[in-house]
Amino acid sequence: MNKTLKISFDLKNTYRVNSVLYGLKQIPLVKKLLPEKLYGVRGLKVFANVVAVLWEVCSAFLGKILYFLIMVSGAAAMYGNMPKDGAFVHCFLFLSVIGSFMNTHLFNPTRDKYYAIILMRMDAREYTLINYGYMILKVLVGFLACGLFFGMGAGVPVWLCVMMPFFVAGIKITVAASNLRSYKRTGDAYNENRLGKFAWLAVGLLLALAYGLPALGIIVPEYAAAAVMAAGVIGGILSVRRIIGFDEYRAVNQQLLSQLLTQMDAMGSAAKNASEKVISADTDIKSDKKGFEFLNELFVKRHRKILWKSALRLTAVCLFLILGCLLAFYIRPEIRQGANELLMTFLPYFVFIMYAINRGTGFTRALFMNCDHSLLTYSFYKQPKMVLKLFAIRLREIIKINLLPAAVLGAGLALILYVSGGTENPINYVVIFVSIVAMSVFFSVHYLTIYYLLQPYNAGTEMKSGMYQVVLTVTYIVCFAMMRLRLDTLIFGVLCIAFCAVYCGAACLLVYKFAPRTFKLRS
Amino acid sequence: MKFVIEHLQKKFGGKEVLRDIDFTFESGKIYGLLGRNGAGKTTLFNCLNRDIKADGGTFWLEENGVRRVPEAGDVGYVLSTPTVPEFLTGREFLKFFLDINEKSIKNVRPLDEYFEYMGIAADDRDKLLKDYSHGMKNKMQMLVNIIAQPNLLLLDEPLTSLDVVTSEEMKKLLRSLKAGRITIFSTHIMDLALDLCDEIVLLHGGVLENVDKENLDVGEFKDKIIAALTEETDE
Repeated sequence: MNKTLKISFDLKNTYRVNSVLYGLKQIPLVKKLLPEKLYGVRGLKVFANVVAVLWEVCSAFLGKILYFLIMVSGAAAMYGNMPKDGAFVHCFLFLSVIGSFMNTHLFNPTRDKYYAIILMRMDAREYTLINYGYMILKVLVGFLACGLFFGMGAGVPVWLCVMMPFFVAGIKITVAASNLRSYKRTGDAYNENRLGKFAWLAVGLLLALAYGLPALGIIVPEYAAAAVMAAGVIGGILSVRRIIGFDEYRAVNQQLLSQLLTQMDAMGSAAKNASEKVISADTDIKSDKKGFEFLNELFVKRHRKILWKSALRLTAVCLFLILGCLLAFYIRPEIRQGANELLMTFLPYFVFIMYAINRGTGFTRALFMNCDHSLLTYSFYKQPKMVLKLFAIRLREIIKINLLPAAVLGAGLALILYVSGGTENPINYVVIFVSIVAMSVFFSVHYLTIYYLLQPYNAGTEMKSGMYQVVLTVTYIVCFAMMRLRLDTLIFGVLCIAFCAVYCGAACLLVYKFAPRTFKLRS
Repeated sequence: MKFVIEHLQKKFGGKEVLRDIDFTFESGKIYGLLGRNGAGKTTLFNCLNRDIKADGGTFWLEENGVRRVPEAGDVGYVLSTPTVPEFLTGREFLKFFLDINEKSIKNVRPLDEYFEYMGIAADDRDKLLKDYSHGMKNKMQMLVNIIAQPNLLLLDEPLTSLDVVTSEEMKKLLRSLKAGRITIFSTHIMDLALDLCDEIVLLHGGVLENVDKENLDVGEFKDKIIAALTEETDE
């Protein structure tokens, strides 16, 4: 028994460790520092194993600490007018019921199970039971410690706190046993990652009961909670026999793991399929143009759904919000001044908003998946002249798509500024409008440029460039940081316009210089 | 015309995939490129098509004693998994291709004639390429590469997943196309190589070598190839 546990732990570790190492290898600079035969380095493995053991110990507590902190104690503390202990027990009770079918372990197809049971042909029953036992033990220990700590902190009596871990384990076992019974009857194994309509409905309902009732001033009385918990414990004890006596773990796992495998296979092709699905099958779409303009027009028209439709939707939302703002000014004139002041210092905030509404990444993704992925294998498509010609056409297109919501937003902001009391310096109107438009152009240029310079995908449509990820992350962080910046609109706007102009010029130069070499499939 | 590769090298990490490729191909012949799994056949093609950068060495086309570096238009590369732009119809893809290459393609014919030539049915020509079958996509890819009349045609296991009829059609087509150009055909299937190709070239241990058929019969020739491919290399 110890051996099975050790083997399964080893197995899980090995691929965890390897995934960590693989992850490290994807980071640009770090990649160069790591040796080629990374996966064979013993010292690294030992170190990683130690980390994994520590992680295993921590994971028994860490998740539960967070769970109690946020979902139970934290949430319960929100209901100021309810007794703290009562709200605590109430939330805990309903959440545990959700956990009993959403977090079963037994019906969660994971890779380590696949490796152990299917590939390594370990005894499915022994493997499952030992790991299940181990998981239950972790639940007992983790919930006992956390339950006592947080429960007593909320004023829950000790005896009730002690019951908590046994209730959680009991109800998990009860539900698992009932799922096994239903497998015996129907031959269909329950998969906790593929919940049906009703299960999701139950989750919603239980969440509503957990967090909604206390808001209405209703909580489950202590004695009732204790009775439910006791029932859970007894149910668990009675169900243990079924779990241990069940003899078809291999069949259950095979069924679940085959779903996992199709899931893993599907992941690669899913991205591709999803991209293909957005291609419009409308046979009326035609183009009278020639060459790359022909290609581009058909691409844009057949991808209307993901390109123009979302831009139009965004425009509508912007329009709606602006009108809402104006209406608010009309109904409550006293907010005008506040809004006016806000607008004069809040322009940096719009960097993030423009970042969020830009369709650039979606555009380049579709470009790759449905167009460049295939055409880049043809040599005529890779001729420098052609690459640059198409770049120019695409740049025009992506700017056009993003410009509509930006122009509406920019004009709207200028209008809001005017209606909310105006400004002494009329140049502000121009600066607001132009800087919003400039930001939109900036993001369009930015995404297309990094796509052409770093072309991050390989022929299998996998993202292969660590650098690309880094650039995207940095973009996000910078835009996010901008939200904290408070700067006079005029100053920021002028700086922003200047920056965008310089950036666009530089980016285009870089593309013209390097893209013919960098714009190719990764290997 | 000749296609000459000299001292071509490519390393991945510490592994020398192409050690020292030194070979002269002659036009009018189909070369069967055989090699074991992972021998570097695709890497070699990718280097020749400039999809990846070689670490060392050169290659050139030589015509009437004049050497020149092959341009993009000189090379046609047909991949084992056909890749075609899914959002275009067969007809649109062909039109686009002809538009782009109008300067280099002589005597352009009506689109339907090309489809006729490849055996692509009339009602399939206006379907989106994403709805084409594997074999049909393959035909489109081949067609586009043929129209361009490349001097060097690289074929990476193009017949492996085609049905028997399509596969025979393609073989016939390749034979009809071999005059005036160099065709290099990589495959795992020895019988296919022996059936279609004029010369057999082995990629083994990072080098290319010709296997001389001499006057061996098919069985003996196969044994010779297997022996050469299982030979220990000095790596």
